[in-house]
Amino acid sequence: MALCLTLLAAGDACRKPPPPGPADASAPPLARATLQHLRGTVSVKRAAADDWTAASEGMALLENDTVQTGARAQAQVRFPNGSSVVVGEEALIGIAETGGSPGRDRTDLTVRRGTVDATLEAPATQDLSVGTPAATVRAGREIVFQ
Amino acid sequence: MRTLLLTLALLSVGPARETVVQPKETLADVARRTLGSPEAASELKAINHLETDSVPAGTRLLLPGQERDLAVGAITSAKSAVRQAAQGAARTEASLRLDDAERLLSSAHYQEAAAEADGAWRLVSQRPEDPSHFAIQVADDGTTRVHVDSGIPVRVEAEGHTRAVSPGETVLVRRGEAPGMPSGPNVAAAQSVLEAPVLLSPPPGLRLSLDAKGKGVGPLHLSWRAVAGARGYLVELKGPSPQTLRTPHPEASFSSVLTGSYRWSVRALGVEGALGPASERALDISTGNIKLEVQPPDWK
Repeated sequence: MALCLTLLAAGDACRKPPPPGPADASAPPLARATLQHLRGTVSVKRAAADDWTAASEGMALLENDTVQTGARAQAQVRFPNGSSVVVGEEALIGIAETGGSPGRDRTDLTVRRGTVDATLEAPATQDLSVGTPAATVRAGREIVFQ
Repeated sequence: MRTLLLTLALLSVGPARETVVQPKETLADVARRTLGSPEAASELKAINHLETDSVPAGTRLLLPGQERDLAVGAITSAKSAVRQAAQGAARTEASLRLDDAERLLSSAHYQEAAAEADGAWRLVSQRPEDPSHFAIQVADDGTTRVHVDSGIPVRVEAEGHTRAVSPGETVLVRRGEAPGMPSGPNVAAAQSVLEAPVLLSPPPGLRLSLDAKGKGVGPLHLSWRAVAGARGYLVELKGPSPQTLRTPHPEASFSSVLTGSYRWSVRALGVEGALGPASERALDISTGNIKLEVQPPDWK
């Protein structure tokens, strides 16, 4: 319990047991990004949930979470490596799995509908992969140093 | 008739847009005579909608205009930049775009060829430390539009094909299709906003003395004021050792040149290979190093 209190700041770490290993199907979902600068109606649907809930400033986004923005709404999704996307109005995006699906290339997020404006402040050290129904867009260090 | 043919032949050397096939000339011969290379026969074939390489003497053939010079210049500069670029994904993609540019040139699609070559050049000229901004727009049917505002190019992959999209370019991808060709702002519009560079150094009328270097002298440094909206500059040195280079910065250096009288010109480079007006200046270059020999003094 004491350990749990110490780690309270780590968010989800205390609510669920530590990840036992890659082969364990019960491994907790990983925080992949943070939701910031919300404007208007922004909703999140957790991977394991059936309902949409209102997004909140600083909310951690986990693998397979979905974010939806309403009319004249906007939100920024910031990834741990510093890259970010501003999700425009009436958009639907998904946070991708860390490892990606078998047979498919890894992406950080998928845009199913709407517009996102992406920024890499330091492309030499950051990268971002965005999947859409038609294409995969890759930017950053991969293209520079691959 | 002979006089007429001679006149037409002479005209074909200059800015004429037509030439007449001479007796026993093949299309490759005409291409060599008018465009400087027998390989350009495919361009003449495309422009004139010819089905074979044999054309009867006396046939009038249309010749490409200045847009070909721009495309050839863009390809030459891009080749040079790719050769000098470090190994990596950017260089590989630039090489692929150069191949596309040459294919487009051979089919007389000059504007598209210049745009591809310019895209290749930008791929190996961008600095990775610049922030990167791009937008992705997905329509209800999944059609994806990718526009790169600034920074390094991004890669758009679909159906096993990859397309590099440079700043200022937009690519459209339809579901189940390969990425389309990148398109940019209107070339004419881009040309109209580019101004002629203000040349700074060397100043006009200067007789420049440089140190001997190899068979010539050098280095020769040129600089000019940056032009708003320019993505780079095309620098031409005309004289005993003519050279052309493309640089992203408002300065250029030639490591070694032969002595003599030169004219150097600079043009700002806009999007899709658009070139602004040139600024030109004369320059005389001579050997400047004077061998100093200090004799031992007579007195002791």
